[in-house]
Amino acid sequence: MKWLAASALIVATGTAVVTPAWSGNEAIPGVENAARARQNWILSCQGCHRADATGTPQTTPTMAGFVARFLEVPGGREYLVQVPGVATAALSDADLAEVVNWSLVRFDAANLPADFKPYTPVEVGRLRLKPLRAEAMTIRAGMIARMAQDDNGNRNRGGFR
Amino acid sequence: MSGLDKFSEKVTRRVARATSRRSLLTLIGGALTGAAVIPVLPVSRAQAQGHGHGGGGDPIAPQPTGNPQDPGDQTQCDYWRYCAIDGFLCSCCGGTASSCPPGTEMSPITWIGTCHNPADNRAYIISYNDCCGKSSCGRCLCNRNERDRPMVRPQANNDINWCLGTESAIYNCSTAVILGVALDQQ
Repeated sequence: MKWLAASALIVATGTAVVTPAWSGNEAIPGVENAARARQNWILSCQGCHRADATGTPQTTPTMAGFVARFLEVPGGREYLVQVPGVATAALSDADLAEVVNWSLVRFDAANLPADFKPYTPVEVGRLRLKPLRAEAMTIRAGMIARMAQDDNGNRNRGGFR
Repeated sequence: MSGLDKFSEKVTRRVARATSRRSLLTLIGGALTGAAVIPVLPVSRAQAQGHGHGGGGDPIAPQPTGNPQDPGDQTQCDYWRYCAIDGFLCSCCGGTASSCPPGTEMSPITWIGTCHNPADNRAYIISYNDCCGKSSCGRCLCNRNERDRPMVRPQANNDINWCLGTESAIYNCSTAVILGVALDQQ
């Protein structure tokens, strides 16, 4: 696991230097009202994920500097909406899409794929009809393993970042 | 009248013959001291304190903020920031409405809602951080539950022990920290 942490750190620091992090002023695609998105984050997410999205290892995995990596692996885009806390949040489809788009940029702009298409209310509405339940942990573990595999492959080819 | 005089004289003389002046002084002195001791007895103190667990204990001095924008007494359940609190007020337990009593740790995992501030008629985002690590404070129990949701929505339920992410899961008291001003309703 150590090598995974180390490589994640390299990715994080490396890309932080290359890509300027989100400064907080420019508009975020798929976010109509950033203040509203932030408020919905505070009221519906922050209590467990903490203000900086670092979470708590035992109960709430960290989002900061990591969450956008789910978009790299198959099923990741769906997972980010179907995960129970998101799918069952007391927010409308539009507000939910907005807060998800906002949190991806706010907490992990460095890992956001260049071709990322913001979630739309319609897509979120469709995905949240099938929320994950107890299986969320297993699915998440599978995707993390896939990310590690990809990192490993990239490193072996010498083309890693 | 003379009969009454004679009767009084007879009684007085009999008392004077049968008792010494010293014993009278002892009696009076004993009565005075005894009467003075009654309020000091532990039975009396227990009664004066009144209330049981959760009811209060010693009276708590009011803690107004002194800020006209933040009206009310932070030791009272009707203080505006406590609109969805469920627990013992840290203001009554050695802490304040936004800080923990010494020896306890503030939980970083909280439940968050909004309360209406009567001073400016705006909604403020309030985080109910529990203080953890010592047994229940037991003073100023306050249970208001505005917009509290049932257990199936744990993120908006205040019956949960929110001592999560702390070293100890033992609940002591609750704070109500202002996170910011809520946006006006669209």
